[in-house]
Amino acid sequence: MSRHVMIVGVLWVFFTALALAGAAAMNPFPTVGAEEAEFSDHAFRIMTFMGAPVFGFVIAALVYNIARFRSSGQPSEDGPPFKGGGMIPRAWLGVTTALAVVVMIYPGLTGLAEMRSDRSYDLEVNVTGYRWSWSAQYPDGEFTSNEIVLPKDQRVRFNVTAPAGDVLHSFWVPAFRLKIDAVPGQTNYLWITPTELGDGANDAAFRVQCAELCGLNHAGMRMNVRVVEPDEFEAWVAEKAGN
Amino acid sequence: MAIILGFVLAVVGFTLGTGVLGGIRVSMGLEYWSTDLSWTIGYPFALLGWLAGVGGWKYWATEWFGGTAAQTPKGVKRYFEWNMDHKVIGVQYGVTFVALLLLSGLAAMGIRYELMQPGMQLFTQDQYNAVMSFHGIGMVAVAVAIMLGAFGNYVVPIMIGAHDMAFPRVNALSYWLVPPVAIMLVIAVIMGGWDTGWTAYPPLSVLNKSGQVLFNLAVITFGLVSILGGINFIVTIVYERAPGMTWGRLPIFVWGAFAGSLIAFFFTQGFAAGLIMILLDRVANTSFFHAAEGGSPILYEHVFWFYSHPAVYVMVLPAFGAVLEVLSHMSRKPLYAYKWVVGAMLGIVALSGVVWAHHMFTSGMEDYLHAPFLVLTEMISIPTGIIFLAAIGTIWAGRLWMRTPMLFALAFIFNFTVGGLTGIYLADVPTDIHLHDTYFVVAHFHYTIMGGEIFALFAALYYWFPKMTGREFNETLGKIHFWLMFIGFQLVFIPMFQVGVKGMNRRVADYPDAYADFNRFISISGFVLGSSFIFFTANMILSWVKGRRAAANPWHATTLEWQVSSPPPEHNFEGTPVIESGPYEYGVPGAPKHAHIGPASAEHA
Repeated sequence: MSRHVMIVGVLWVFFTALALAGAAAMNPFPTVGAEEAEFSDHAFRIMTFMGAPVFGFVIAALVYNIARFRSSGQPSEDGPPFKGGGMIPRAWLGVTTALAVVVMIYPGLTGLAEMRSDRSYDLEVNVTGYRWSWSAQYPDGEFTSNEIVLPKDQRVRFNVTAPAGDVLHSFWVPAFRLKIDAVPGQTNYLWITPTELGDGANDAAFRVQCAELCGLNHAGMRMNVRVVEPDEFEAWVAEKAGN
Repeated sequence: MAIILGFVLAVVGFTLGTGVLGGIRVSMGLEYWSTDLSWTIGYPFALLGWLAGVGGWKYWATEWFGGTAAQTPKGVKRYFEWNMDHKVIGVQYGVTFVALLLLSGLAAMGIRYELMQPGMQLFTQDQYNAVMSFHGIGMVAVAVAIMLGAFGNYVVPIMIGAHDMAFPRVNALSYWLVPPVAIMLVIAVIMGGWDTGWTAYPPLSVLNKSGQVLFNLAVITFGLVSILGGINFIVTIVYERAPGMTWGRLPIFVWGAFAGSLIAFFFTQGFAAGLIMILLDRVANTSFFHAAEGGSPILYEHVFWFYSHPAVYVMVLPAFGAVLEVLSHMSRKPLYAYKWVVGAMLGIVALSGVVWAHHMFTSGMEDYLHAPFLVLTEMISIPTGIIFLAAIGTIWAGRLWMRTPMLFALAFIFNFTVGGLTGIYLADVPTDIHLHDTYFVVAHFHYTIMGGEIFALFAALYYWFPKMTGREFNETLGKIHFWLMFIGFQLVFIPMFQVGVKGMNRRVADYPDAYADFNRFISISGFVLGSSFIFFTANMILSWVKGRRAAANPWHATTLEWQVSSPPPEHNFEGTPVIESGPYEYGVPGAPKHAHIGPASAEHA
């Protein structure tokens, strides 16, 4: 018995290491375009590191028992009658509960609190979703644009809505890792601080993509996003407002 | 014959219903036909005509009105009309939903062909949305109903030593409500489809084409199937157990069916209510979801997910039961931590009702709801962990007989681990805000529902095939099916996690070129996965028609369904089953046999 436990223990370490190495080797994330993206990717990595040993344990137990105790013909005898009383289920319950509570608190609730912590902003953009296009209105410059241009390192609040007779849409920029639904008759808010220059023309992560099924041209309901240096932004605003 | 009569009477009913409506409308100076309203009024009449035609009148209702109910036929014919034997109904459910599974799978192949490269190839965007929506609701219907409908009906009464379900007539009624659901969905697609997926979010579902009305009517009917089935299982398991079949001796599949039925019974109303509100918004100009008139689209999301999250446990609790059942018998070990598993299943039932808003973290609902739903959702991992403990404890040092059902049951453990762990990213608000409505979600729920429940379905199907058909299945074809499906499945859905994180959203007919490589790979893997079903279908047909005769107990299993012939006699037992110990006493020294069939008692003689 104890020999099986030992081998599974070794396999556990092996599969956990394998899962961690795999996770470290591949970078699944799109361009990190904002502070919020950094934050979301960090939470993602934490959960991957916490999940790897759980995954490793199940796979180790599964693989070892299949390899060691498989029988291609009909088994001629019964296995040992473990019924699973005693300490093992209690310990299992304790460990899984502890893990769940940890994930709830970090990165869960602490992350949620941090996401909400800063509601200041330097710039506002009113975003409206229609079937099937977006428009961005810049209240400071009193003009409307069919692309979103943002100055690097300035905090922006998006006021997202849809006209009362329209349908649900969702405002999502993959490079920023945040989305919020555009709900008819209701305004929802999103705060973002872009930290990297980028242009949707050469990076699909810098696009507003509708992420709530909205009918015929849902897939194509996109808008370009550009993050530029502040002086370039000022020039763009002056040009748009002048028109 | 009965089915043709059903169709004819359905058309008569529909004509009658729409005719009366049309008459009233014309007298009011309106047009005779109004697609939304005419279908809404005509459909209930069509449904009544159908039910009467397929045998609801001849075998049941006529008795109430003083007539004499006809005798149901024997042989193959009985599968094609109203029948109250739970074993016939189990087979009817199984075949119907496997057919729907294959049809919805074909839709998935169309979807993958379209998405193989950017731009539109096979479909227009409109057709894509229709096919995607059909795939969604078709598969959800299969997932909700096939475990309970096919195996719940066939096996549960025998496992508990009952002669039939508690309400055989209601059972027949709930099955015969199923074909209209499938037919309405197909008609809806032919009429041009609907474009709201299976979730039917308003305001789009109030504003779109009339296919939506047929969808709503079909799914409301399906809700009725689920509720009636749920009541029937609950009452059967509470009241119809054989002498000695205490709650602590119930096979775990029965517990899974019981737990799933509780959810179906308590929560299905939510979805039906939401769909009725949409119908009323469309045909009666109410404004539940119309923002300009004070309605709220977000209200629907709450009502919808209040059912539709618990629904995933209607799918997966019977699947847990089936997998643990197969693992125990085919490892020749007692089910590990049996009573903990029962507690876990009931814990999942309780928690399932308080996690729905984790589908709504980006919806714009009130901020204060985020934290409680994050916490409650992650609590689900605690009872689910017990299921894993039981699975691992059961195979530990067992005698693992690597036949097809066992392969599917073991694969379930792997797939559900991936599905469960990736669920944590979606329960966690900081990551979900990015991942919501992306292919990460698509991959996650396919890992839990397809990798979990549908793999469990095949474990159950191969395991009980000899019992239900009296034939053995072809082991080689079964293994080819398993390996193609298992490998194809991983190659389809692992890359979907990544392309989702990268920025590809779900339910799209087209995508930016940046995701082209991923999609080509996923589509090709998808065709491999799809091809496994050719081997499955061939195996089922060939084995059912000309497979070797199956023994009563080919797996040498302990539970009651294996102690009677394959297939079992008409009333399941020649005598009275007596239960003397737990269902999984493998290797327990001196344990009495789980069950034996005693002499017929006076009551059932």
